[in-house]
This record gives sequence, C-alpha cells and structure tokens, in this order.
Amino acid sequence: MPRLLRALTIATVLGFAATLYLGLFAAGTDIQQGAVQRIFYIHMPAFFGAFTAFGLSLFGGIMVLAGKSADWDKLALAGVEVGLAFALINLLTGAIWARPIWNTWWTWDPRLTSAAIMCLTYAAYLMLRAGFDDTERRRTFMSVYSILGFVTVLITLFIIRIVPETIHPVIVGASPQNAQGSFEATSGVMLALAPSLLLWLTLMPITLMWHRYRLEDRLESLNRAKLKALSE
Amino acid sequence: MTARLLKACALVFVLLLALGGAAAQDSVQTVPYLQTSGFNVPVLAGWDNQSTDAIAQFYSAEYKATIRAQIVALEDPPAAARTVLASWLDIETGPPVYNGKVNLADGTWHVLAFDINAATTASVMARRHGQGSVVISFVEAAPEARTMLLTLAQTDDALNTAAPEIDLALDPFAGVELAQLDDAGNIDMPSGQWQVYERPRLRALGMVFGNDSYIALQEGELGNLAALADAYNRTLLGFFVTPDNSLYLALGLAAAFAVLGLLVLSFFWRSRGIQQELALIETLTSDEE
Repeated sequence: MPRLLRALTIATVLGFAATLYLGLFAAGTDIQQGAVQRIFYIHMPAFFGAFTAFGLSLFGGIMVLAGKSADWDKLALAGVEVGLAFALINLLTGAIWARPIWNTWWTWDPRLTSAAIMCLTYAAYLMLRAGFDDTERRRTFMSVYSILGFVTVLITLFIIRIVPETIHPVIVGASPQNAQGSFEATSGVMLALAPSLLLWLTLMPITLMWHRYRLEDRLESLNRAKLKALSE
Repeated sequence: MTARLLKACALVFVLLLALGGAAAQDSVQTVPYLQTSGFNVPVLAGWDNQSTDAIAQFYSAEYKATIRAQIVALEDPPAAARTVLASWLDIETGPPVYNGKVNLADGTWHVLAFDINAATTASVMARRHGQGSVVISFVEAAPEARTMLLTLAQTDDALNTAAPEIDLALDPFAGVELAQLDDAGNIDMPSGQWQVYERPRLRALGMVFGNDSYIALQEGELGNLAALADAYNRTLLGFFVTPDNSLYLALGLAAAFAVLGLLVLSFFWRSRGIQQELALIETLTSDEE
C-alpha cells in the first residue's frame, strides 16, 4: 500500500472517530427531537460524501469519453461503488430518523423519492457494467451512463429548493413551509457538523475510492495473468 | 510525508472547530428554556427561578404566586395532582372547586382547582406520562383574592371567543353568570389576546387557542390577573417532554456501520480472492515449467 494511502486511511479512521465523538457527545441533545437528532451528523454528510464520489465518477466518465487513459474508467467505477454505499447510509439513516419524528419510516416526499431514484440509478450502473463482455464498449457505455446518472444527484440536491411541497427540513437556510423536524444550526450543531461534513466530503470518499481503484487494478492484473497463462 | 499529512489533517479539524464556534454567532436567539432531567419548560421572565433538577418552579413575590411543573410516579393524574399539593403545601386537599378533562396536543389533561384555605387557591393540570404523571400547578397565597386558572374544551369550536367557557367556569367559582359581568375589552399579552369581563371584586379572562379556551378567574381584591394567566398559559403550552428515542439513534449508527463495514469487508474479501487466484496461477505456471 502506498505511504500516502496509508496516511489517508489512518487520518480517515481517526477523523471518523473524532466526528462521531463530536456528534454523539460534544453536541448537545436537541430538547424537542431527543437523541435521534444526532443521526443528522451522519445522515447529511453521507449525502455529500456520495456527491463527491458520484462527482468523481462523472469526471472519470468525461475523461474516458475525451479519449484519455482507460484508467479513468476505474475511477468512475470506484466512485459509483463508494457513492452508492454513502447514498444507502443517507437513505437508511434518514428513514430511521423519520420513524420517531415523522411517525413513519418512509413517505413519497420529493426529496426521499429523488434520493431513492438516485440509489437505484447507480445500483443499475453496477448491474449493467457486469453485463458487458466487450471492454471498450463497456467503458464508453458506462461513461455516458455515469454522466447522465449524475443528473439524479443534482435533482436530489436541489429538489427541496425547487419543489416547495416537501416535509424534508433544510438546516442551512430557511426550511420549506411544510417541513417537519427542523432544528436550528446552533453553535453545538455547527461544531459537530463542520468537521463531519469535511471528512465525508473529502477524506472518506477519496480514501475508500483509492482502495477500490487499487482493487480494480489488481483485478486487471489477475485477468492479464489468466490470459497469459491460457496463451502459454 | 505521512506525519506531515496527519498534522495537516489535525490542523484542518482544529480550524473547523473554530469555524463552528464562529458560526454560532449567527444562531437565532430563542426563548430561554429550563431543561430538567425529565422535561422542559420556558423560563418565566420576572419570576424567581426556584427550580431543582426534578422540579421546575417559578415564584413571584409581587403576585404571591408559584408555578410548578414536575413528574410524579403515580399513574392516576388526579391522585398525582393531590399528592403534589399535599407534599408541597403540607395540607390535605378537600373536594375540588372544578374538576374536568381537556384534550390537548400532547394528551388528555385533568383540570382541577382547589380552595386550599382562606388564603390559598390552587389550579392544577395533570396527565399520564409513561409510568407516572405530569403535574403543572399554580398556587396563589394571597389572602385578599381567590384565583382559578382553567383550560376547557370549546363548546363550539367555530366560535373565536372564550365567553361560553368563561360562563361555564364562573358558576362553580363564584356562583354567577357571565351576563352579570361587563365586557371590558381585550388585553394583549405575550401568550395572545385575552378577553376581559369584570364587575366589582370579580374579573374573568379568556383566550382561545386551538379548540380550547384558557380561563382565568379572580375574586376579591383584584390584582394583575392577566400577568398570572399569561405566565401559567405559557408554561402549559411551552411544556414538553424530550422523547427518549436513543434506540433509534443506536439503530441508525448500526445501519451506517453495517454499510461501511460491508464495503470495507468486500474490498478485503475481493482482494484476498485475487491474491489467491494469482498465487494459484503462479503455482500452475511453475508446475508446467
């Protein structure tokens, strides 16, 4: 493992522990929502982690189509896999928070629906990718897919600003009129949120994607070794 | 290189912590709340805060009145209300002057009012909470006046007036009807606009909130009934219990750890599989050679 990746991995693990401590212990308990409000310190940063990962996947797709190295395709794949895991964390923690606050696990709210569509879109990426035998065609098709798929990320990000009929709260800025479960971005909230957001936006997706990229590299080496062995 | 990167990461975290503090300057100032171990009530400005860890209590020397909120380990709300008054005032309560029920947003409240003795009156609201009861009480110890604070469901929720409920409350309190009092207009308080009816030595206030009427009655030497009604009303409507949903927090953390753990484990398993296959190919190749 490269020394830089090892350092990033250590920094990510320590940072994750530190942000968990801030969210679970340093930030005060929301007196109206209770302890479950602390899920927010994972829920919202997880979405932005997915945003970074899917964004890098989009970048990888563009680079492949621009005729750059095929290695960018590995970056796109790593971005989708890591981003999907983060998006699932966002979706699951949101549903768990909603149960005591909205009295339901799920509702077909615009934000929730778009987040679910985003997850399904990227899950389909992984399934479709596995269906290609021709490597070149796979790279081209999946690059186009990753570019188009990013539209679902943007829709999920902006839908509560576009469609006012949502009950999903907005923490930074004014919440929609029908929002349920809002809370103020006080000093305690910001203290726990800012480091967590930075960690999930940068260190976590980059570190995990780098590990996934290396895995794909090794898989390619294995395939080459297999071909070589067969040809001999 | 590694140490330098770790130092840079630590520096970024420290900077963010400082930024978090700076962002606090923008936070909105809200009504100050008293947070006890079991519940929350707004702090009454101008009242002496005598609260302990388990009891929220505010006293006004000017009005000789006390507002207290607490949770007691009795499942029967009326019994809990009597127990609170008995232990607090060290006196057995007689039959209530008023005894009723009202459904508010957070449950069914029992509404009771007592004439404790010549100098003391008590108004209590109590509801079930888990294995116990929430009791919010108002006690006035002014020998020159009797005061009663009640909450009644509106008899007709299409009306935006508390007059019918004031009429209902006046009978057990003073044995009179609302028609015997003069309409003295409205008075604006932080809790809302109260209608005022009065005659010499008797005053009645009422305010509609939701489908309920909040009533304040005073007999004798009339004082600032609006201030008492406002303080009690804000305590009632501002009272809430912080829910215990820590199991959902644990579930949320478990879900996040499970997904991240599965992702990292899948990297590990796949990497090990590749390594084993590479080793196998190498062995087969060397065997052939």
